[in-house]
Amino acid sequence: MPRINVIGLGNVLFGDEGFGVEAVRRLEKQCAVRGDDILFVDGGTQGIYLLDYIESADALLVFDAIIPREYDRQVYVYRNDELPAFIYRKMSSHQMGLSELLSVARLHGRVPSELVLIGIPPDNLDMGSPLSERAEKLMPEALDAGCRQLRAWIDRQQEETAR
Amino acid sequence: MSRKIVVDPIPRIEGHLRIEAKLGADNTIEDAFSTGTMWRGIELILKGRDPRDAWAFAERICGVCTTVHALASVRCVEDALGIEIPPNARIIRNLMNATQQTQDHLVHFYHLHALDWVDVVSALKADPKETSRIARTLSSWPKSSPGYFNDLQQRLVGFVESGQLGIFSNGYWGHSAYRLPPEVNLLAVAHYLEALSFQKEIVKIHTVFGGKNPHPNYLVGGMACAIDPDRDTAINIETLSRVKRIIDETIAFIEQVYIPDLIAIAGYYKDWLYGGGLGNYLCYGDFPEKSLDDPSSLLWPRGAILDKDLSTIHDVDPRDMNQVTEEVSHSWYSYANGDDKGLHPWEGETSPNYTGPKPPFEHLDHDEKYSWLKTPRWNNHPMEVGPLARVLLQYAKSDPMITDTVNMVLGKLDVGVEALYSTLGRTAARGIECLQTAQFMRHFYNQLIDNIRTGDYRTANTELWEPSDWPKDAKGFGYTEAPRGALGHWIHIREEKIEDYQIVVPSTWNASPRDAEGKVGAYESALRGTPMADPEKPLEILRTVHSFDPCLACASHVFDMNGDEITSVKIV
Repeated sequence: MPRINVIGLGNVLFGDEGFGVEAVRRLEKQCAVRGDDILFVDGGTQGIYLLDYIESADALLVFDAIIPREYDRQVYVYRNDELPAFIYRKMSSHQMGLSELLSVARLHGRVPSELVLIGIPPDNLDMGSPLSERAEKLMPEALDAGCRQLRAWIDRQQEETAR
Repeated sequence: MSRKIVVDPIPRIEGHLRIEAKLGADNTIEDAFSTGTMWRGIELILKGRDPRDAWAFAERICGVCTTVHALASVRCVEDALGIEIPPNARIIRNLMNATQQTQDHLVHFYHLHALDWVDVVSALKADPKETSRIARTLSSWPKSSPGYFNDLQQRLVGFVESGQLGIFSNGYWGHSAYRLPPEVNLLAVAHYLEALSFQKEIVKIHTVFGGKNPHPNYLVGGMACAIDPDRDTAINIETLSRVKRIIDETIAFIEQVYIPDLIAIAGYYKDWLYGGGLGNYLCYGDFPEKSLDDPSSLLWPRGAILDKDLSTIHDVDPRDMNQVTEEVSHSWYSYANGDDKGLHPWEGETSPNYTGPKPPFEHLDHDEKYSWLKTPRWNNHPMEVGPLARVLLQYAKSDPMITDTVNMVLGKLDVGVEALYSTLGRTAARGIECLQTAQFMRHFYNQLIDNIRTGDYRTANTELWEPSDWPKDAKGFGYTEAPRGALGHWIHIREEKIEDYQIVVPSTWNASPRDAEGKVGAYESALRGTPMADPEKPLEILRTVHSFDPCLACASHVFDMNGDEITSVKIV
């Protein structure tokens, strides 16, 4: 069975920096789509230590706070080839971002065949603060987009299995 | 004529570190200044919280060392409340800690540091047959055929030609300070990729005992995992045999890949013995065979060495109010009773006081405050912490386990013990220590099996879980030797809440600015006297700073959303 990994990135100590992690926590609870092959990962800012979760996925869904080119307060969804241009962000271990992780995966010949990033621009990055009101407002739409993506992947898996 | 070189930030590390070096006429570093450029304030987040939750916040301080902060945190709370953990919890924590050390050292060497010695682009010119021949003289590691290296080289060519260097961008490829022949560069790049793949396996041990990874669960009073040899949902025979297999593979990888690579690479640089630095070394110790309160039961000993004098080991007591202190004469904080007076962490203060120029800035006045890192001192001495400190301390104590490996590595390189006091020595110490921690993994695994065989499945002591059973006022100290060095958490609990929390992290010791008396920190000291081949491409500075495995994220936090940041090297 193809494997689906859902990873939340960011640091929960710093307001909207933790959007990705919080989104995956909620998605795991709320999204009714289930399958033995969906793994929900609180990735934090672990950089290279997340390589396994990237390389082991056939389909990878990532949630993260992002800085888009045009900064609107909305949910951004990027797919496959659209991604690299939008994932500037360095995480750590040390200073390795999703783009570097994907480049390592490419060198290993293990890039997920489906890649989706769902993000929002952060509003408040203050230490010790919860998600901002604006981030909370965008959250349902982000979760909905994530859940629909998972359902689409699962449906396709089932079709392929049935065939 | 004196020139100045500024590297800001130092690439391939977590967090923000700026190094300013003053060069003499022959491009040798005469003086250096280390600046943490981001504020840290985790202590303030923890105030007022439930001490039982502190570890879950502390582990988020850093993107690299989650588990070491979680460990130091539960240890300081247990110390404050007088909680004794059961043997299984002690063993599992040791096993997880050894796992973390091993994985971290492996990742550091290949991913963060090797590229200071290995020229990736030169590997494209290598003859894979010759690489294969070299590989087979170094080690019995099976992946060594000409076809294997040829295939890898082709992939690398494709990668470079695609223009997306990704992980290999921003390197000083072709720099005259690189000395490896193309064939050895190819070997090292092959192992770089193998190591990145392999490290994923090691840390699966954390998932077994911590329930999940990358943020395994800890628990004040023990560990949150259940042990039952006969139950599917607990740690059982099957999970334990998986752990054993990972440990065996880890030891094989380090013995057959990491150590031979280290010796092969170091062989080309063994006259590049700069970067020794302070010659003062500090260890809190770790891996208790009994209790943390009994330093004699620590497999990694506690102690200090001053001025490279291995014949005298000084006793260290981090609870002594006069030994470990932090002052802020050159740090952007203020203390109520004067910035020059060192405060023990139990009386520590975290009041930011930024007096520097508005960023981005070109110039910092080093006579004034110039770093977000405080200035920790042990008995008023600046100290180096980390693998070199630990290896030297064990060597000074003639611990046979480490002495044999040290002598083997020194013997193969045909250099004396004094070679350890260098950048390369620090890098070698990390590899030597990595083999030791992998062997610790096996040791603690066997200990765990033996203890489970006695019928003891207990993993936690919950007798003092309820705050109503706690003292009204308590202070605790929790320590660990993190991969990068001695880490201490000091807590003050009052009326069931955290009154004060202070953390002194390894990189604060090593990257410390000057103190009130003008004594320099470990990086600052290590950089002095280093000749630079090309100041525009300060590879030598990166080499020495990276050899400490800097991690400024916990020393100071950063959220860097704008990835097109490039390290700027300025010559003024």
